[in-house]
Amino acid sequence: MLQPTGQISRLGTIKSLLQRFAFLSLIVATFALMLIGKADTVLVERARIAVTDAVTPILRIMSEPASAISDVVANLRELAAIRKENAALREANARLLQWQSVAQRLESENHDLSALLALVPDPPSHFVTARVVADTGGAFAQSIIITAGQAEGVAKGQVVLSGEGLVGRVMQAGQHSSRVLLITDINSRLPVLVGESGTRAIMAGNNGGRPRLLYLSAKTAVAPGDKVVTSGDADAFPVGLPIGQVARTGDGVIEVEPYMSGDKLLYVRVFDFGMGDTTADATLRK
Amino acid sequence: MQPTMWQRMDALARKLVPFGLTLALMLFALTPTQIPGLSHLTPMYALAAVYFWSIYRPDLIGYGTSFSIGLLEDPLTGAPLGCSALVLLLCQYLVFRQPKFFNAKPFGVFWLAFAVLAIGAGLLKWICVGLVAPGGFTRFGDMFAAALMTVAVYPVIAWLLAKAQMKLLASA
Repeated sequence: MLQPTGQISRLGTIKSLLQRFAFLSLIVATFALMLIGKADTVLVERARIAVTDAVTPILRIMSEPASAISDVVANLRELAAIRKENAALREANARLLQWQSVAQRLESENHDLSALLALVPDPPSHFVTARVVADTGGAFAQSIIITAGQAEGVAKGQVVLSGEGLVGRVMQAGQHSSRVLLITDINSRLPVLVGESGTRAIMAGNNGGRPRLLYLSAKTAVAPGDKVVTSGDADAFPVGLPIGQVARTGDGVIEVEPYMSGDKLLYVRVFDFGMGDTTADATLRK
Repeated sequence: MQPTMWQRMDALARKLVPFGLTLALMLFALTPTQIPGLSHLTPMYALAAVYFWSIYRPDLIGYGTSFSIGLLEDPLTGAPLGCSALVLLLCQYLVFRQPKFFNAKPFGVFWLAFAVLAIGAGLLKWICVGLVAPGGFTRFGDMFAAALMTVAVYPVIAWLLAKAQMKLLASA
């Protein structure tokens, strides 16, 4: 009678020892991963891309219900306000027709002046539209995963825009998926122009909803409502892409309210302005 | 009598239920909700699931499962590799070390213990990410809010997982 009990207790001890060994080995493995992540960024980036590419089809299916519900809610809201919106659209249309004639006149004038100065035109830009399937805007990182990758012409460093304004830049491009670092992420640093005067500054994300302006001259007067656009410095972005407007100034802190809302992104456009990858440089990473 | 191939596959599928549901919850945390302000407060669903299974079905969730979930979570969320796995492993270790505490207690006790564990886990992850990520420490308040959200959603997660356990694992 005693033998089986002894065997069971021995088996239990071995099992518990194995479990403890597994736990310790895995803890060591997590620290090893952290070190590898620090040391070999290329290898880790490849692993990240592989995981993201593999999981994106599942995320695409999982994000369907949320986007369907969001569409229904948006449709209901639009239905409720359809009369009011129609009147507003008629008014806007009349106003825009006036602007159209102004724009046509300016376009032909611009064309003539460019020809007169023998201006070298900007390289043409291409874009692809992609769906947002994951929003990792948690407490630790602010990025999104989109359903376009290298196969669709997306490459690291390309600029991502929504209908409202600048969203961020592609930081990883997989085969059919990419990760976009949002302008609100703590690692995001953008050279920008502020207000009518076009004062230069750096806009730094802080993982919150409102990035801050840094390295602004103390003499510069910045007021809430001033527009913030990309400056084109360091060849990271073309000049003049809309980012947001100054929301609050005071206590030496200037906050920018971006036009885009990371929570509401459904579709984004990834632009190739022919600027190449500049993400690895100091403007974005450090 | 030897079990047939179907019986073996069925048994294997049942054994994978905790891993599968924890993975599904981890991916659910990533899906865009389209609700303004909510993505900042995304709860740590995977932590809630690992805690639940470690208490109720420790036979079906080993350290390897938590490690794998954490290993997949970091590349997807953009956090430094290894941080989530470390947090999940340590939380599971704490639960496994206290079998007497977690034996037949009312749900309120489990919830309270989870609250302490979730805040500790959030703090540990915040320190880990802050030390390893190039951007340094993120805002403390965001981490704390996410930990509180995790505590708030735990009863719902526990209820869902308990239902799944009754349906799928009654005989496992």
